Amino acid sequence: MNPSLATVLLVLLAAVLFALPLLPAVHELRLKRDAEPLNVIQQYAGEIRHFAYGFRNYIEAIRQPLQHCVAEGTTATGTLPDGGEYLLLGGSDTLSLPIGGTMKEPTCRLVLAVGRDSSLPGGLTFLKEIYAAGHLVGGEESVYRAILGEKDIHLRRASKLMRWAHAVGSFRADHDCDLYGRVSSDREIELQSGCIFQRLNAPRIAMGCADVTVKPASNLPIDRQFSDRTIGRRLITGDFEIPPGEVISGNIVARGKLLIGAGARVRGSVKSSKEMVVEAGVTVEGSLISASRMHIGPRCQIRGPVISEHGILIESGTECGSAETPTTVSAPIIDVEEGGQFFGTLWARDEGLVVPRR
Amino acid sequence: MIHILFSIVTVITLYTVRHYFFTLNRLFGFQRHPYIDTDTADWPEITVLVAAHNEEKVVAHILVALMAVSYPEDKLRVIPVNDRSTDRTREIIDRFVEAYPGRIQPFHREGGKGGKAAALKDAMALVETEVILIFDADYIPGSGLIKQLVAPFFDPEVGGVMGRVVPLNVRTNLLTRLLDLERAGGYQVDQQARMNLRLVPQHGGTVAGVRLSALREIGGWNDSSLAEDTDLTFRLLLAGWQTVYQNRSECYEEVPETWPVRIRQIMRWAKGHNQALANFGFHLLFGKHLATWRERVDGIFLLGVYLMAPVTMVGWLLALAVFYQGANPLHGVIALLCFTAYAATGNFAAFFEIAAAARLDSTRQRICLLPLLVLGFLVSIVAVSRAFISQLAAPLTGAQFHWDKTERFRAPS
Repeated sequence: MNPSLATVLLVLLAAVLFALPLLPAVHELRLKRDAEPLNVIQQYAGEIRHFAYGFRNYIEAIRQPLQHCVAEGTTATGTLPDGGEYLLLGGSDTLSLPIGGTMKEPTCRLVLAVGRDSSLPGGLTFLKEIYAAGHLVGGEESVYRAILGEKDIHLRRASKLMRWAHAVGSFRADHDCDLYGRVSSDREIELQSGCIFQRLNAPRIAMGCADVTVKPASNLPIDRQFSDRTIGRRLITGDFEIPPGEVISGNIVARGKLLIGAGARVRGSVKSSKEMVVEAGVTVEGSLISASRMHIGPRCQIRGPVISEHGILIESGTECGSAETPTTVSAPIIDVEEGGQFFGTLWARDEGLVVPRR
Repeated sequence: MIHILFSIVTVITLYTVRHYFFTLNRLFGFQRHPYIDTDTADWPEITVLVAAHNEEKVVAHILVALMAVSYPEDKLRVIPVNDRSTDRTREIIDRFVEAYPGRIQPFHREGGKGGKAAALKDAMALVETEVILIFDADYIPGSGLIKQLVAPFFDPEVGGVMGRVVPLNVRTNLLTRLLDLERAGGYQVDQQARMNLRLVPQHGGTVAGVRLSALREIGGWNDSSLAEDTDLTFRLLLAGWQTVYQNRSECYEEVPETWPVRIRQIMRWAKGHNQALANFGFHLLFGKHLATWRERVDGIFLLGVYLMAPVTMVGWLLALAVFYQGANPLHGVIALLCFTAYAATGNFAAFFEIAAAARLDSTRQRICLLPLLVLGFLVSIVAVSRAFISQLAAPLTGAQFHWDKTERFRAPS
């Protein structure tokens, strides 16, 4: 081959090879197919009731027909603006639910709006959301997609909630219910042992019946005027132990393990980089943070947020937050004994479990 | 000469390995977001400082956004720090002060030393709260951002918090699109990996927070620093305070739309970073302080990041020189140099970090722009090297460092 031609061909080939990866780049630059800013939802405020409020807006169109059904004591069906089918129950008789699926797994495929106080049959799978204008009691071993209750919601034993539930009144789940997603109440949540949960929010969250609720050991009122401003920080590079009964003012940071002895009181926040053990009857007026696992003994009182990066076990009688100062307890895994009480948010990123009192 | 080349290749290879490690950690490792679920608390009183120097185009947007955030009104005080503005910034701020009585306390700075750190330092006289958040005036915080940035301060070890910066003016031109990719790689992968691995997430000085007692303990804002954020990161670290990164606390910003503005911005960052390296590098690595060994090592890598530009250029020149000198075959070394330079493509976030970030952000077509990062890389390597040389020459030339304000491009409200 002619050497000049070969050189030209070589240069051309090199140029083509160099340009190849630039072609899609130039194409995208010209067409701007993916040139919008990353979607940061400016209105997002982490509101647990977000889906419940959205659903309430979604069903706005059927609230008046529902009231009409209640007045007449009748049922009605129809289609929502997006094509979803609904069933309105004006009476308290829920036996007329249209059941589909198989004998083994009976299902209800309609958005269900119940106008009066009602009990739903057990063993059913509700594939769409339920709206309850009155008190709602679910049957045993039923599966729910989502529930919005304008009054109380009570799920019976071994029910499953797949996405969210919000009760304007109280929310109660009997033993062995699985509550995936978000559960919120404007008044109170009560879960029995064996219940699995993820994200709970209410002014008061109680684990177990009222008769197993144990009061915290401390009789001293928590100082509401307490402020981190006024105290210093103590940084310990290894393990640390606060002796039983000790009263400590200040923030404690231990880069090893940390043990807070029974009955101690910390007027500040506590952090450990490794495992943290809080013995019975401890009071912490600030927050409790562990980069590892955390074990909170019985009858403790924690005022601020409780955060563990691995998991928390909370024993009976412990209170986190208060009615005046609600707080957050969060960890990937949270095990709470019956008798534990929380004010605010309890958020198990992977799984939370209510365990029987030992 | 050959030994210098070997050393340079070794250092650049270490940076490449670090970038790969961060990327793999981000894709497959355990992700730490310990504070993000804190949605209910007895929220503390806070002060939000908005640094504003000739910001008439943007300052109204951030004030509107801050007045609408989800945070108890009685616990949130906004202080716009109007730093010697000569445009309508003062007038706009005063209008907001009237419209929102009791919620905005303006700080109009008439004179004094230039620079953001100096302005913030003077504004501290008005700050009474333990938690301080800082925004540049071109940022637009969302409703839930303030609580997300405050939540880590419930941890008594946390001295500083940094959120994620997201460019808003992406569509404008090639530069803004490249900067969007680089920001994604830098935050979504680099910063979050350092958070995951308990290394040194960097305080960015905006979409950020600092604890007042920690700031006082380390001596307050350093007004002689050109990168007050880097300076703050390392002074907090040396004093045993953690800086944490919140990847899900995203906030829109405006990125430069012209190359000269971008070059001035990156030169200022480079000078500030190099200044911090000179101030803290040796002490960080060998001194007696509270940083862990992994923080020391990562801290040095972080401080040296802007030094890599001139080092890479010197490496390329040396490789050429050695080749034409006819030294022993160096194919392996030169291949490694080529490979590491290739891996560095994308300025601070290597191209594979950016690709991983695009995947994590679930963006699709913009990944096609990756080959064009070479352009940004070449501009940056020259600009950062120039900044380094001018810094080295400063004692001889008597040149004074000065603060270059980043120009804004948004249409004024």
